[in-house]
Amino acid sequence: MSLDLLRTMFDAAAAVALAPLVTLTVGVLLLLVAELAPALSRHRPAILVAAILGALWCEVLVHANAPGLVLDGTFLADEHTAVWGMIFLSSALVAWAFGQRYYRASRTFLGEHDVLLLCTPIGMMLMAGAQDLIVFFVGLELLSIPLYCLAAFRRTRNDSVEAGLKYFVLGAFAAATFLYGAGLLYAGTGSISLVELRRIAAETGIGSPLALMGAGLVTASLFFKASVFPFHLWVPDVYQGSPTPVTALMATGTKAAAFAVLLNVAFLLPSSTALVLAAIALLTMVFGNLGALVQTDLKRMLAYSSVAHAGTLLLLVAALVAGPADPGRIAPEAFRDEVIGAALFYMAAYVFTAGGAFGLVSWLEADGERFTRLASLRGLAGRRPGVAAGLALFVLSLGGLPATGGFLGKYLVFSAVVRAGMVWIAVAGALLSVVALGYYLRVVVALYMEPEPEGQAPPMTRRLSASLTAGVCAVAVVALGVLPGLFLDGLL
Amino acid sequence: MNALTLVVFLPLAGALLVAFAPVKERHLRTLTLCVTTLVAALGIWVLARFDGAASGEQLVTSARWFTLPGGTAVHYRLGVDGLSILMVALTTVLMPVVALSTEGHVRERVREFLVWLLVMETGMLGVFLALDLVLFYFFWEISLIPLYFMLGIWGSERRLYATTKFFLYTVAGSFVMLVAAIALVYQGGSTDIGELTTWARAQPLGVQGRLFAGFALAFAVKVPIVPFHTWLADAHTEAPTSGSVLLAGVLLKMGTYGLLRFGVAMFPGAAVASAPFFMMLGTVGIVYGAFLAMAQTDLKRLIACSSVSHLGFVVLGLFALTQAGLRGSVLQMVNHGLSTGLLFLLVGMIYERRHSRAIDQFGGIAQPMPVFALFFVFAVLSSIGLPSLNGFVGEWLILLGSFEAAPWIAAVAVTGIVFGAVYLLGATRRVLFGPLVHEENRNLRDLDRREIGLMLPVVVLCLWIGVRPDTFLDKTARSIDAVLSGVEDARAARETSRLPAPPPVTGEPR
Repeated sequence: MSLDLLRTMFDAAAAVALAPLVTLTVGVLLLLVAELAPALSRHRPAILVAAILGALWCEVLVHANAPGLVLDGTFLADEHTAVWGMIFLSSALVAWAFGQRYYRASRTFLGEHDVLLLCTPIGMMLMAGAQDLIVFFVGLELLSIPLYCLAAFRRTRNDSVEAGLKYFVLGAFAAATFLYGAGLLYAGTGSISLVELRRIAAETGIGSPLALMGAGLVTASLFFKASVFPFHLWVPDVYQGSPTPVTALMATGTKAAAFAVLLNVAFLLPSSTALVLAAIALLTMVFGNLGALVQTDLKRMLAYSSVAHAGTLLLLVAALVAGPADPGRIAPEAFRDEVIGAALFYMAAYVFTAGGAFGLVSWLEADGERFTRLASLRGLAGRRPGVAAGLALFVLSLGGLPATGGFLGKYLVFSAVVRAGMVWIAVAGALLSVVALGYYLRVVVALYMEPEPEGQAPPMTRRLSASLTAGVCAVAVVALGVLPGLFLDGLL
Repeated sequence: MNALTLVVFLPLAGALLVAFAPVKERHLRTLTLCVTTLVAALGIWVLARFDGAASGEQLVTSARWFTLPGGTAVHYRLGVDGLSILMVALTTVLMPVVALSTEGHVRERVREFLVWLLVMETGMLGVFLALDLVLFYFFWEISLIPLYFMLGIWGSERRLYATTKFFLYTVAGSFVMLVAAIALVYQGGSTDIGELTTWARAQPLGVQGRLFAGFALAFAVKVPIVPFHTWLADAHTEAPTSGSVLLAGVLLKMGTYGLLRFGVAMFPGAAVASAPFFMMLGTVGIVYGAFLAMAQTDLKRLIACSSVSHLGFVVLGLFALTQAGLRGSVLQMVNHGLSTGLLFLLVGMIYERRHSRAIDQFGGIAQPMPVFALFFVFAVLSSIGLPSLNGFVGEWLILLGSFEAAPWIAAVAVTGIVFGAVYLLGATRRVLFGPLVHEENRNLRDLDRREIGLMLPVVVLCLWIGVRPDTFLDKTARSIDAVLSGVEDARAARETSRLPAPPPVTGEPR
């Protein structure tokens, strides 16, 4: 590659667009170096937090400047990818903060953990911004490989190792599926650039069976990451076996990245598949909710609930594929913005809600509450009013009740579905959300309404990082519910 | 600051104060009583200031809340009109009564209970005052959560079953309403209830009918209209006294209020078309509820079933779609809140003393408790509609109105009053009069000053409405006439559509 080409590729716009990625990469390198010197390793938390906050600041710049397509049209940085980036970064920060004390109890080395954790948002951002299937694949692997390691991070525990292995085997399978799909797409259309593919789709439509099969396989591999039916079977085991802060990261950040990409590549699917997607979404909600309904373990229940939420988000993809019901009233472009806006709001709320819920579970777990059984939550409201109130708030937000971000997220999703003309799908989705409340309420019942069991309560530790993070999550959840304008007007 | 904003959020501020104030439980109760009394004073001021002859909403406050993706602005918009004014006044007045009554039955986790009580007041008042659909829905669901906790924590033995059933039933209705609301906002292009009403009234029956069905389902569960009534008896029976009072007094009225504002007023075409159906359901509720009540052996459950019957009257009056019927319904919402609230308070008081609600555990307790007997008889008479008390006015207007609309249905509904007298007077006789068969009833303590004092405002209101209903009816007249004009237009449109259809107009679709 000649120097001139490099110079034209890395112009000012590219500098802004890549700033968040570069910041995080510098952070990763510093963390690696810090591990070499014991004197430096004390500053590990500071380095990590500084890297994430710095990247957040860079995303604000990206949001303000919206550099657009850079690097020869392979990477997109606009308002939407900037907000996606903020969501990924928040997710990583929440997972890290809750992990601080979680591992200390099990005497795990945190150096590798922090390095791996800081790699994941880089992968997510690459995925969300990629306009080229190869760049996307690099992002996918940069996210997945650290996650495989993180899932198995409590290496002395069987379930953690099992989780890592399961995730790895199925993840490798999904990656292969993706590559196969990308190959077929290339064979069918002659391009792997999303920009080019979008042009082809708009002009002639992606008609060739090869390309359609490729699109289907690419979508299926993303379904795996997003934990959508029928690719959700790994979720309960992996979520339960992984260290809980890592579960929080998988449930929030990874899911957000997968949906950012799904919304990005939705144009590959012909609009006739919208109903199929909606049916898959409803089935995902059915399996997630029914699975959660019978769980007695909190972590596993939250895992199934996360599957159900993936179903809700998939409704948005279905709406996007279907397009506006009345194009005279809503232009397809405006509708696309609406759908992505809804997804961003939903995920932003979900990061803090699910992140907070898993985080509080990790706190209780590390304190040796003989967990993570639902029954062990009994009497928690008396022992730890703050933790109980937080957990109740988070599950009510997961259930989509007002004054929490979960409510407006749900409103926006159903709104997009109705605008796509699928009113009955929205009604079915709404009724499935009632089933979901059935198990969320069981958490509240256990926390507040059932008598405290006899016997000695486990000791209670004060944890600044965990309580601070839980507090921030709670404030964010309520703020998104009461003053959604801060997000909707400020960022979208 | 706008008076209505104050009315809605003063209780919430009070809740925060109660939650964190470092004082004793006794003072917390006083604090709650002060806050609710202040809000009640504000509520009465709003009622007094409300001009029943003026049209439209009054005391409106409006500010942009946020913008939905797609550009529709959602407003924080409160206001009071003739449909909501009485409910606002009723809610604010009942709250101090309830707050004072907690001393009798809430003994543990007092702070939490008072917080939920105050949060609930904010939710309920928000529902009645919201003039923006999203804001309305917001408050609608918020008001569920406090009652869920009140039932689940302070209820009696089967509380978990009752509270979960209550919550899931109501939420199932609400979520369907959410989709209907979304569709309404999408098609109407606004979230303002006034604008949406204007828009919806102009729509053809098909569009109105589908949207109306979504809303009506949620309200039918909340009222509850038979066959969605099964949650009510459980919830009422297991709830602590104050929960029952609020459930009967205000929460159920959210359903009938919703049917009025989002049924009859917003979709008059659909209301006219479905009126016979709803009148029939109302009448079924009246008779079936009465039969249920007759079969009860638990005093509290009996009153709960009588609620089903009494709310059947409200539904009947609403869908009679006549002036008398609508006025009677709006008044009867208040009446039922007062009389049934009073009955639940009294049952709570006797339960605190005797720890039983079974009717056969009593008998002849008028001897040790004459004052209790006096109040109980008063409440029962007000509930069965004795002339000169509040229930009479409401039921009379409703029956008058429904007789204009459908004489046969009204004729069946009248039997409900007779049955009402049978089960309520029967229960009164078995509880209060006759020989004192149970020895432990001989030493029951009569009502103390607190208990008498907290019931007095309700008693005064019952008498006032019974003697001078115009004080209250006049406030609602103008708004009800506006609703009726919509109904008249819908009726006229229905008549024209029955004539041979005009030649189809070809033009571009909207």
